[in-house]
This record gives sequence, C-alpha cells and structure tokens, in this order.
Amino acid sequence: MTHDHDMTLVLSRVTARFADEKKNSIPTLKDISFSLPKGSFVSIIGPSGAGKSTLMRIILGLMQPSSGEIIRNFKRPAMVFQNYALFPWLSALDNVAFGLRMDGAGRHERERVAREKLREVGLAHLENRFPAALSGGQRQRVGLARALAISPDLLIMDEPFSNLDTITSEALKSDLLKIWRSYGMTILMVNHLIPDAIELSDQILVMGAHPGRIEKVLSVDLTRPRDTRAATFFKQVDILTEDIRRTLE
Amino acid sequence: MVHSLAHAPTPAWHRIHAVRHKRAWLIMTGVVVIAAILIALGFFGMVTWGVLGSAIFHTTYRLVLAYFIALALGVTIALLVGWSPLGDYFFPVFDVLQNLPSFALIPLFIYFLGYTNQMIIFFAVSSIVWPILFAVLTAIKSAHNDLNDAATIFGARGWKRIPFYLTPLSYPAILTGSIVGIAIGWESVIGAEIITDIAGFGAFIKGADVTGISQGAIAGMIAILVIVFVVNRLVWAPLLAESAKRYAE
Repeated sequence: MTHDHDMTLVLSRVTARFADEKKNSIPTLKDISFSLPKGSFVSIIGPSGAGKSTLMRIILGLMQPSSGEIIRNFKRPAMVFQNYALFPWLSALDNVAFGLRMDGAGRHERERVAREKLREVGLAHLENRFPAALSGGQRQRVGLARALAISPDLLIMDEPFSNLDTITSEALKSDLLKIWRSYGMTILMVNHLIPDAIELSDQILVMGAHPGRIEKVLSVDLTRPRDTRAATFFKQVDILTEDIRRTLE
Repeated sequence: MVHSLAHAPTPAWHRIHAVRHKRAWLIMTGVVVIAAILIALGFFGMVTWGVLGSAIFHTTYRLVLAYFIALALGVTIALLVGWSPLGDYFFPVFDVLQNLPSFALIPLFIYFLGYTNQMIIFFAVSSIVWPILFAVLTAIKSAHNDLNDAATIFGARGWKRIPFYLTPLSYPAILTGSIVGIAIGWESVIGAEIITDIAGFGAFIKGADVTGISQGAIAGMIAILVIVFVVNRLVWAPLLAESAKRYAE
C-alpha cells in the first residue's frame, strides 16, 4: 500500500477553466487525478489541446486550478522547456547559475556548480557562449544544466526533444537517463513520441482533449537499461501504441 | 554532440553591416566636405560662430539632460507597471496621456516653470518619456510565456524580478525607445526655444530668419546633422548591433 508521503505529487480531481472571448467558462482540464511516486519517470502523452502545458503550469503553481486538490511533496521543482527559454542576455554559464544566484549563492560557489553542471551535459567548452550562438541541442543541454543546478526534486520537461534532430535527441535522451539515475529525482515529461515515452518512462499518462482529461495510465513493464533495438522493446511499443491509439479514438 | 553555431551572425550579415556603416560615413563625409568648401568660399561669412556654437551647446545639453531624466522616469514607471499585477489598468491611461499633443501643453509648463531652462528641459522630458515607456512596457507584456515562467521557476520573483529579469529583458526596447525619444526630443527642445525665445538653437534660427542671415540657419542645421550622425554611429549603432546579435531568436 502506498501513502501520499511516498509520492512527489498527488492530484485529485483537478479542473481548470478559462474564459473565452464571450466570457463563457470553458474547461481546459477536467477531473485530473494521478500521482507521481518519488523517483519515478512518468510521461504524459496526448493530442494538441489536451491541456498538457496548462497542467504543467498548475503543478508548478504558476496557475491556480478552478477546483481539485494538489499535494506537492516537492521543495525544488525545475523545468526544461520545449523552446529552451534561456535568458538571451546571459552566457551559458550565467544561465545555468541563474537559479543559484536568485537563491543568494555567492559568485564563486554558483559558478563552480554551473561549470560542474555544464560539464555533466557536455558543454564545459561553451560556457561563455550566449544562447544566440548555440545550436538547438546545445541550448536544450544548457536548459537541462540550468534545471540540474538547483538540485531539483521534481523535474518537469515540456516536449524537450521536439525541436531537436534525431541524433541530438538520442544523445540527450541517453544523458537524461544517466542524470535521472544519478540524481534520483522524479521526472514528469510531456512527450509526443510514444517510443520515446516507452524508452524513458515507468508510467505513461494518456490524456484526451477538449477538455483535457486522463484517459488511461499505462505501466511500462520493461527492465532497465532498455535496449531500443530489442524485439521485446518493439513488441512493447506495438502493444502500447495500439492501446493508446484505441484509447484516443 | 553537435557543435555548430546555429544562430551566430553569418559572414553575409557582417558584410551587409560593414557596407551600411561605410555608406553612412561616406554620406556624412560628403556633407562635411561640402560644408568645408562653402566655408572656404565665404558662404558662411556672415555667421557668428561663437553665437551659433553657444546656441547648439544650450540645445544639446538641454536635450541630454531631458533624455536622462526621461530615461530614468520612463524605464522606472514601465518596469513597475510591467511588474505589478495591476499593470494592465495603467495602459489605457498612458495611451490617452501620450496622445496629448505636447506643444498644446507648453503654456502649462510656462505657467509652472516660467521662461526658464528648466521649463524647456521638463517640456522635452514630457515628449521623450513616452516612446521609452511604451517600448519597455510592450517588451515586458509581449515577452514569451516560457521565458516569464522560467524566470519565476528559477527564483526571479517579487522585487528580484525587476533587476534580474525585467530590466535585461527590456534592454533592446530601451535602446529603440531612446532613439525615437531623442528624435522627438530635438523637436521639442528646438520648438520650445523658438516659441519662448530662450537662448538655444531654436532661438538662433528664429533670429537668423528675422535678420535675414539664412546662412546661420544653414550652418546650424549642418552642425546638428553632424551631431546627430556622430551620436548615431558611435553610440546607438554599435549598441543596436550588439543587442540584435545577443537577443536574436
């Protein structure tokens, strides 16, 4: 039996509404209930308009739900954005150190940690570059290093691979898994590729749209490390893809 | 790992900028050479250079002072309004205020400050402040949601949001607002000097016209043209180029 304190996050019957141009109240999320076990890697999959980004913002406290209950057993959330959201006026090093600076860490300490995180994501040699002079993959790595620098206990990732080419996203996925294992944090990732979700996650939340709701919670029963070229992996992808397709039909 | 420079200025970008820079200096050199030839030919024989120099000095220092006051005022108000959750209520008020024709208000400035230097400076402030204020406010209001969320998640909350997020975010807008503001400022200072006859370039060209020494007005215009050009090329152009490079998407 699991208890709430074993969970990083518990949502029960969370509903969010927004007012359209005619001031009608439109539900964007309806009765969302799920929980994230501590240290788990959970993916959310769903069509456009399912309210995935709204859900992320509610979890992070950037938006208030209209109703429902949220138990947040995390202290330091961090986020990696689809569009990187790096501060263009700061170098890679200063972007990574930003959260520590806001926490009041001294220059020496925050730069030491930022350099260490840049090294972990393989960008130590680019610490003085500004975001405009980095490729998409490099920017996403800086975004990941910025998140890791504040030692998060919950890392939320909003389609982190969608703007990257295949080779870059494969490399980043492999680094992400290593980082997740070594940090032991909980990861909640919005993803639109089912094989990626299966490769990375313990659980997949399937969301439907209009209004956004959880249609199904799928467990990924593959042992780690997962070999994405193994027959068992392909079989699991087939089964879950079919399941998700039927769910969303 | 990918090491490409995805968004750095290309050689073509550098070439275009170099050509523009060279062309601008060529035009200005032409103006200066023509002015020098006219001086050598005695065209400006009737001009009292000391009086003209003093007039331009008075106008320029009033403009510079007015600009710095307007900059401090405009940026501070825009940052506070952009930061405040009540900021949206101020927008319509500013919109009405900035639409008031500034010269229609000059009697008000004369009433409170008399025919003084301060009157011209504060009158100019009232015109320069709007483009700066609106440029900064627009930059803050149109910032990408992800960037706003990143600032919040990584700790730029409360008062910290102003120096660590909103101010650097507004930097390109401060530059463009300043350039427009200074152009309007020249008009305000010179116009106010013409109306009030207070010593300055406005009063000088008004006097030159009355006494029929139009060469004085022509010499003054060339001098102002050179000042505006030099400030543009040595101050604004490099700042704009740097900002465009750094803040590129």
